[in-house]
Amino acid sequence: MNDKYAPHIEELAKALDGIDQDDIQNELDKLLRFRVPLEEAKRTVLNKFSLKEAREIRIKDISKAPNSFTLKGRITSLEKKNFVLKGETVDLYSGKIVDETGVCLFTAWSDFCLNVGDIIRVRNAYIKFWNNRPELNFGQRSIVEKLPEDSFIPSNEQCFAQTKKIIEINSSDMLVSSQGIITELYHRVINIKGKDTTIIEGVIADETGKLPFSSWVPMDGLDIGNAISFKAAHVRLFRGIPSLNFTYGTSWELLPDNKCLFSKNVIITDEPTSIPIASVLEKDGIFDVVVTGNIISVRPGSGLIERCPVCSRVIQSNVCRAHGNVVGVKDMRIKAILDDGTGAVYIMLNKELSEIVYGRSMDEAENIMKVSLSKDAVYESMKRSLIGTYLTVRGNSSKSEFGTTIVARSAWIPEDDLLCRLELLMLKLSEDV
Amino acid sequence: MMAEREIAQRLFAKEFNGSTLSLTSVLSDDVPDLNSPNLLISPTGVRINRVFVVGVITEVENLGSETGKERDLWRARIADPTGVFILYAGQYQPEAAIFLSTVEVPSYVAVVGKARIYEPEKDSVFISIRPEEINNVGSNIRDRWIVDTAKLTLKRLDMLNEVFLDQQQGKDLKNDVKLKGIDPDLNETILDAIEFYGTDQNYISDFKQSLRTALLSIKENAGTEMQQKDNAENVIFELFKELDSGKGVQYSSLVKELESRGISEEVADIGIRSLLDKGECYEPRPGLLKLI
Repeated sequence: MNDKYAPHIEELAKALDGIDQDDIQNELDKLLRFRVPLEEAKRTVLNKFSLKEAREIRIKDISKAPNSFTLKGRITSLEKKNFVLKGETVDLYSGKIVDETGVCLFTAWSDFCLNVGDIIRVRNAYIKFWNNRPELNFGQRSIVEKLPEDSFIPSNEQCFAQTKKIIEINSSDMLVSSQGIITELYHRVINIKGKDTTIIEGVIADETGKLPFSSWVPMDGLDIGNAISFKAAHVRLFRGIPSLNFTYGTSWELLPDNKCLFSKNVIITDEPTSIPIASVLEKDGIFDVVVTGNIISVRPGSGLIERCPVCSRVIQSNVCRAHGNVVGVKDMRIKAILDDGTGAVYIMLNKELSEIVYGRSMDEAENIMKVSLSKDAVYESMKRSLIGTYLTVRGNSSKSEFGTTIVARSAWIPEDDLLCRLELLMLKLSEDV
Repeated sequence: MMAEREIAQRLFAKEFNGSTLSLTSVLSDDVPDLNSPNLLISPTGVRINRVFVVGVITEVENLGSETGKERDLWRARIADPTGVFILYAGQYQPEAAIFLSTVEVPSYVAVVGKARIYEPEKDSVFISIRPEEINNVGSNIRDRWIVDTAKLTLKRLDMLNEVFLDQQQGKDLKNDVKLKGIDPDLNETILDAIEFYGTDQNYISDFKQSLRTALLSIKENAGTEMQQKDNAENVIFELFKELDSGKGVQYSSLVKELESRGISEEVADIGIRSLLDKGECYEPRPGLLKLI
């Protein structure tokens, strides 16, 4: 065989770690003799060998896994779901699988007769990223083999809960352990399958951040202001914001003050402080964040709008996308871009906040529109009074295909002790003269 | 996923107008990548695409009448304490052009825009802003912009300084700056800037002097404005006591009375709001104010 293929064979050997170079050469040679173009021949060889020798992967390495691989583990939870695909009902199974190194969500796209507690080896499994979490998938080409009991594989997933600070908890965590102070707490009765159930919702905070939590199990003796330590809470996602979910597998205990690693008072009385927008952009979503910057653009769609009375969608000329001809409900909002020199976020202000920030009530805004006889008059007037100004916004941030957005829960014009900041800068400037 | 929005950089005219290093992304073999933003690198290593500037508009000129020029081309000069930004608004910036045609000169304006570089011939480079948004703002926003910009500029100068210290010690810059936790992209632009402009210690100390001057120029104002506000508040409060016979005072008559004493409506409104915030007075019904 021609020497000019040597580099290609070497490249293939590198990609197919552990496969004999002669085998690769033979295979490539065969294809090339059929006048298969080189690129296609290489691809075929690569596919052929990597399929045969699908590597065995541990769950801890799953995010670096190759296209197709083998994995051994125990099913710890399983749920049957179905959905309608092209008029046909399709069953799928999803659950969790553990091995000695970790826990992972999986989806089986056909019935592999799985049961909770089974130890299985699955070949030709693949991963997909779902909400930033690698998720194991068993597809049509996957082969599942049941193995005898192996006591080295844990029988529950709770032992894999990582201990983290609140701010570090993110969407890639499945189970997490941490400590914090309950700063908000509500009881809510909801109806599930005809049965009234009380669930607990609230906010838990430490010195690094805060997160919403919910519990489907009673948490007797818990009150606002308590410090708790918890193990193996589930991490869920809502619009990119992680939230903690306490279930039967989660354990928690009240922390006495002397065991508390952070100052309770500081967290409870903590004034909201702005963080750089750059650090908001780094995360998929942050719960209750405060940023300060300049309004550098007021987006179209700000000003007076009309909403569908049924679904609250914004409507044009009294026609709703879903509900047809309706009588619109008047509303006012501001959509703007806030930039602090480190980054830019979209901000959304509802009617109440728009009135405060814009400095005019909705009635006054309607008057502006009536007097000028122009639909855009309020939008134009908003631009004139807002562009360039400073604003602080507090709310939840979330990242979507349109960029990172903060839906404001509150907004105000930031106080600034300009003289004090100026003096401080002057001091810094004179240090090295 | 959409490309992330370009940050509106804060930098002084002195630094902006010196930013003659333009970065055009090249896909391969001199084919420019049309989707990538135009970038300038400033002498301190800022990657400039969009800027946010607050200054005094000192001159507006309509170039539309000149022959051979685009119709309706407006040029404006916006001064900050270190220099002047040049603004061009043409037919594709109709809103900015309308604004410039009616703006009062001088007045404070805030501008969001893209940095443009024009190089008609070698060794003559013109840097300007093409406005996306332009608006009149108060002097407080201008002052605050200067403090913000000074702070950000100082941070960059300090970063440059550290790079120089390392350079003196003969460290491998390419790898070393990374260790400091500086964003690798920024690291690259800083090194590019040093190489292109020959930015050195003199530049840093010279710029620091400019920052001092800039801050001093508003220090007096910042002080007087605070005092003015306090003074105004006192005057309003005294006048309020005089006028309020227990039934309250109409907002409009209070403002009118204050105007006759040389306090503008704007200042009066801020003062009254502040008194309301402090709980010194309240508004039993819209337009009527009453002392506590």
